[in-house]
Amino acid sequence: MNPLSRREFAACAGAGALAVPRVFAQKTPGAPITAPIAAPITAPITASGLVERIRRNAGVEWKTDTVDTFKAGDPSTVVKGIVTTTMATLDVLKQAVAAGANMVITCEPTFFARADNPNPPPGRGAANAPPDAVLAAKRDFIQRNGLVVWRFSDHWRLRTPDPLAQGIAGEMGWAKYQVAGDDKHFRLHQAVTLAALAEDLKKKLSIRGGIRVIGDPRAEIRKVGILAGSTPLAASLRTMPGVDAIIAGEVREWESVEYVQDTVTAGLRKGMILLGRVVSEEPGMKLCAAWLRTFVGEAPVTWIPVGDPYWRPV
Amino acid sequence: MAIMAGDVVERIKKNLGTWREGGYRDTYKAGGPDTEITGIATTFMATFDAIQRAVAAGCNMIIPHEDTFWNDRDDVKDPSADPLYDTKVAFCRKHSVAIFRMHDSMHGQRPDFTYVGLARTLGFDSARETAPNSHRYTLPETTLGALATELKQRTQAKALRVVGNPEAKVSRVQLGVGYATPPVSGEIDVVVSGELQETDGTFDSPAYVLDAVSLGIAKGWIMLGHAISEEPGMEDLAEWIRGFVKEVPVRFIRAGEPFWVPQ
Repeated sequence: MNPLSRREFAACAGAGALAVPRVFAQKTPGAPITAPIAAPITAPITASGLVERIRRNAGVEWKTDTVDTFKAGDPSTVVKGIVTTTMATLDVLKQAVAAGANMVITCEPTFFARADNPNPPPGRGAANAPPDAVLAAKRDFIQRNGLVVWRFSDHWRLRTPDPLAQGIAGEMGWAKYQVAGDDKHFRLHQAVTLAALAEDLKKKLSIRGGIRVIGDPRAEIRKVGILAGSTPLAASLRTMPGVDAIIAGEVREWESVEYVQDTVTAGLRKGMILLGRVVSEEPGMKLCAAWLRTFVGEAPVTWIPVGDPYWRPV
Repeated sequence: MAIMAGDVVERIKKNLGTWREGGYRDTYKAGGPDTEITGIATTFMATFDAIQRAVAAGCNMIIPHEDTFWNDRDDVKDPSADPLYDTKVAFCRKHSVAIFRMHDSMHGQRPDFTYVGLARTLGFDSARETAPNSHRYTLPETTLGALATELKQRTQAKALRVVGNPEAKVSRVQLGVGYATPPVSGEIDVVVSGELQETDGTFDSPAYVLDAVSLGIAKGWIMLGHAISEEPGMEDLAEWIRGFVKEVPVRFIRAGEPFWVPQ
């Protein structure tokens, strides 16, 4: 199963040769079909206009309490180019500017926390009185370059099939192995050892030092569950009984890690591979760029990876 | 003369000097005060493996720093739906295991057992600590890469992770333990700690360090792993308990690093 519908793929394929106004509609199984939206490619689109179009195409009910809001910049800015990314780091923002983009769509926070406050109160112990040099430089860079940053996390994750799981599966070549009716489960065509699976993930997802594994490296893995992002214990408890290995982004050592250790001690041939939160969300944000291209013709859409934040000494 | 788990806990409270009642962490997770004990094992976390090894070593009282049933509150509502929970509980019943967690009471001590144990493991000399219990060390200038390599050798941590420029010149190190990872902003070059989320921490996450690096500001973040950072303190706790429990052996059982890394 493809992460994008056939219709969306067809639209992607044609995105390079847009010359006439096009009509877009998003179809998500189980979700109401939104009204087709006429989008003449010659007319400029503002950041707020783009977000409105995303909302209408998302195919999920929009929440009132959400992190998916503007984090920086003027929403009335005319969009010249769009970047999707896992996290709007300063490096990503610099690359966006170099690529001629002025709108950045990020899955994770810009100002390092859920509140995304560009002037946050001092950290724990109040030891860090503002101004903070890093935050100040980031705010300045965004302002100087006329960037608009908008977060797209809550609603992107709500889509079915889970675009973050689909993204990883796509990079691994597992799209055709998806278990019917369960968008996070994949049944591989043949069993591989946990060690081989981890090595394959490390290579295909360009991981440097962040990947960590629990379980016997020789355990034979056939069924995998993909839980991208930050995974609470409840999700691991729900997933583990039906799979041989969980591929997750980030979990807590006193929660899912202990649970998987105990699972292994009890004699079950299972494992868990932790990719890192950022790394686990990269392919999903690459898919987000492809999805945006299916209904945004006014500006080019580029995916910029953050890359694995971690390295490991020899 | 028989000694009960409750006797040990009473002596621990008395010797700590201060004890805050009413917390959810430092309580019995298996057995109770009336469990007669054959030996005491301290460990980082009451993993099923650590419990089994403690019992094999003749210890049926286990004092872990972290939880037993996969969440901080040891709330068994979700875990008890998994057959693994029953397996773990049945093993504890069969071997009359008492589990008494010591977390808040350890961190509340001055000095905190976990910081003392970790600083010793890392080779951080107290003479280089800016003030007692500041956990801030001024080390001879080195690079982030060299520091990380040294700490990896000292801890033998396979899955140690680093964020930052390996060439960055660093000297001012702030130590953290477990999930108590301190902010890396301000007058700090490197934070060395156990575990933390990748973002959502404001001043204490890789997200902040990545941006500092992009600006050429020398910042580094060395995550040892939660177990690696707090386990040395449990060895110290065992030694401390030996000072006032003479009736049964007191051992330190290493829960160990849970992770390995692929090629």
